[in-house]
Amino acid sequence: MTTASFILKNAFRNKRRALLSVSSVAVSLFLLVTLQVALRELTLPPQSAGAELRVAVRNKISLTNPLPVRQRKIIEKVPGVEAVTPFTWFGGKYKNEEGMSFAQFAMDADKLQSVFGEAKMNVDGYEKFTAEKDACVLGKITADKYHLKVGDRITLDSTVYPGSLSFHIAGIYAGTPDDRNMLFRQDYLDESIGLPGYVGMWWLKVRSADDMVPVIQAINAAFQNTAAEVRAESERNFQLGFISMLGNIKTLIASISTVVVFTLVLVTASTMSMAVRERFRELAILKALGFQRRELFAFILAESFGLAGAGAIAGIGSAYLLYTFGDIGKMTAGIFVAFEVTPRIMGFAALVAALLGIASAVAPALSVARMSVVGGLKTLD
Amino acid sequence: MALPLTYNFRNVLVRWRATLATILGIGLVVAVFVLVQSLAIGLEKSAGNTGDPRNLMIVRKGSTAESTSQVSLAQFQIIRYWELIAHDAAGTPLVSADVVTLISQPRRDGRGEANVSVRGLTPVGMTLRPQVKLLTGRWFIPGKRELIVSRKIARRFAGFQVGESFRTAGNTLSVVGEFDGSNSAFDSELWMDADEARSLFDRQNYSSLLVRAANPEASREIINRIESDKRLPLLAEPEVKYYGDQTATALPIKILGNFLATAMSIGAVFAAMNTMYASVGSRTREIGTLRVLGFRRRTILAGFILEGALLAAIGGILGCLLALPLHGVSTGTMSFNSFSETVFEFRITPWLAVKGITFAIVVGVIGSLMPAIRASRLPVIAALKSL
Repeated sequence: MTTASFILKNAFRNKRRALLSVSSVAVSLFLLVTLQVALRELTLPPQSAGAELRVAVRNKISLTNPLPVRQRKIIEKVPGVEAVTPFTWFGGKYKNEEGMSFAQFAMDADKLQSVFGEAKMNVDGYEKFTAEKDACVLGKITADKYHLKVGDRITLDSTVYPGSLSFHIAGIYAGTPDDRNMLFRQDYLDESIGLPGYVGMWWLKVRSADDMVPVIQAINAAFQNTAAEVRAESERNFQLGFISMLGNIKTLIASISTVVVFTLVLVTASTMSMAVRERFRELAILKALGFQRRELFAFILAESFGLAGAGAIAGIGSAYLLYTFGDIGKMTAGIFVAFEVTPRIMGFAALVAALLGIASAVAPALSVARMSVVGGLKTLD
Repeated sequence: MALPLTYNFRNVLVRWRATLATILGIGLVVAVFVLVQSLAIGLEKSAGNTGDPRNLMIVRKGSTAESTSQVSLAQFQIIRYWELIAHDAAGTPLVSADVVTLISQPRRDGRGEANVSVRGLTPVGMTLRPQVKLLTGRWFIPGKRELIVSRKIARRFAGFQVGESFRTAGNTLSVVGEFDGSNSAFDSELWMDADEARSLFDRQNYSSLLVRAANPEASREIINRIESDKRLPLLAEPEVKYYGDQTATALPIKILGNFLATAMSIGAVFAAMNTMYASVGSRTREIGTLRVLGFRRRTILAGFILEGALLAAIGGILGCLLALPLHGVSTGTMSFNSFSETVFEFRITPWLAVKGITFAIVVGVIGSLMPAIRASRLPVIAALKSL
């Protein structure tokens, strides 16, 4: 019998306990991975292609205050700006649903490709969007959710503007990190129920990455001390602004993760102690046979490490499989679109498992080291 | 004959090291469950605490937040002189036309910005909201660029202490007082003069009207009249109901709570099973003895389940105690209704504590079920012979 097979035999001689221990480690690590991914998705939302060349301009007071249309000419003249489009929140509710399940924005049809180039659809879609005033383009996720196709009409009740608007779908796009939004035409909004002369935001594309900082500075300076001061920022910073608004939710999730890890250590350590205490007599015999403390410690450590490792593979693996191949939008009622289990998070969870394996071996190993052979042989339990 | 309770109880105590770990484990699971649910309760409570049953809230039909609602001056003038509306001692109609807007302000801890609700209102508006009480400083003076700040919001943002000032919309606003909103939605607001707010934020219209009906019958009549009048594309509903419906933010927190409870309870069941199996294993002889003494299988079964439940109940109580220090601590996040910072408290209600402990007991019973069945099925002779 080799050392390895001895350890393996020991670990699985109480199969039920080994299975239970591995399962509880697996469940906890699954939870830990889930929380870490949620935290990452909340604090580092997915970045879209083209984001490094996009600037968001909002009213300095807050995102909900509108901007005057007259700003457009001034922004277009800023050196380095390639294209500008209004971007106005419509806040529409679809089909008497309780809340808003997807966002809608009004913009300029001919600026869709230049500003949001990653939203891809067939050429026909762009043409129709530019040609017909009541046209809209819809993200693939939303289209699939409601079984909508090109040519269908949809009507939305606005929570921001008085009344509802009807659109026909010119195209269905995909390729952004969150293909849920609906885009329609600012001129259609202005002529119907909108607030002519005002837009929600400006979104623009700069020529090159080097233009980013000067453009942002120029736009912020251009409207200083005017009736509508603006805050221009990169798309990334704009996104991060949203995260700051979530407030203490981040702390909450981080603290829960800590509690999960602590509980994990507690329970696993207790299981390991139980496993060792059960065979105190055996370990005493091994000692009597001439095995040294260090070897006994290695046996215990290997076993506890093995249990934690098996739990890690099961827990981290199942989280990876579930979130990579499952439909996360459905699972979280649309709160999360992406739920990416990154190598970093898996590495972190594996590290927790490794430390757990070591930590739970310490207490039993100490008691074995301290036990006298005679004392150990006398134990009945 | 049932096993005496003290037998189970003392058994829980005798193997205290393993038992303690299980109790602590279950305790932590319950603590997390209780805390997350207490957040949802706190959010709902702050919405439910707001409003006076005699008041009606009037907003634009279809709007979901006061900040996106519009009520025109003309509409205000029509409603203001209805005979259905109560008057104060001086004969002024009790109608408050408010302006609600959001301003983005830096957080006190320097971690970014968030939207805060600013309510512009008239003295009538303050009369209609007696929940709001001034703590320090003074009320704002109409016609001045002054405002008062909820204490809970003031703690979370920079420049909101009494005596400080901050810039928004190209102007400087001074904070002259701090108020407490008695755990209502007003705890998430800044208050200033309505007309100052309209000029500062360049708003032609008001956001909402708050009216006090002369009597309950008049209240129903106002709702009907607004519903049927084509000139008024507005919606009137009791103030209490309006705020009571603003609980969309609690939903994701509840989802998180339920997910955590499910996942953590599965882990806790495994841990409890492990402990109980070990307990059964080391008491094989004892169980054999009990059987010889005439205790029946089902008595042994019930005894072990009871032991698991007892152990879990202690864990549950411990979990509630661990969560308790956070009761009443205020926290905040973005409201999905108003799109602005909303502050609320952890609220651990007795009912929630009962739920937490029940949850623990369920975990304990499920965890001890299989070990208990095993104990009850041990063959008597073999059990007596074991070491």
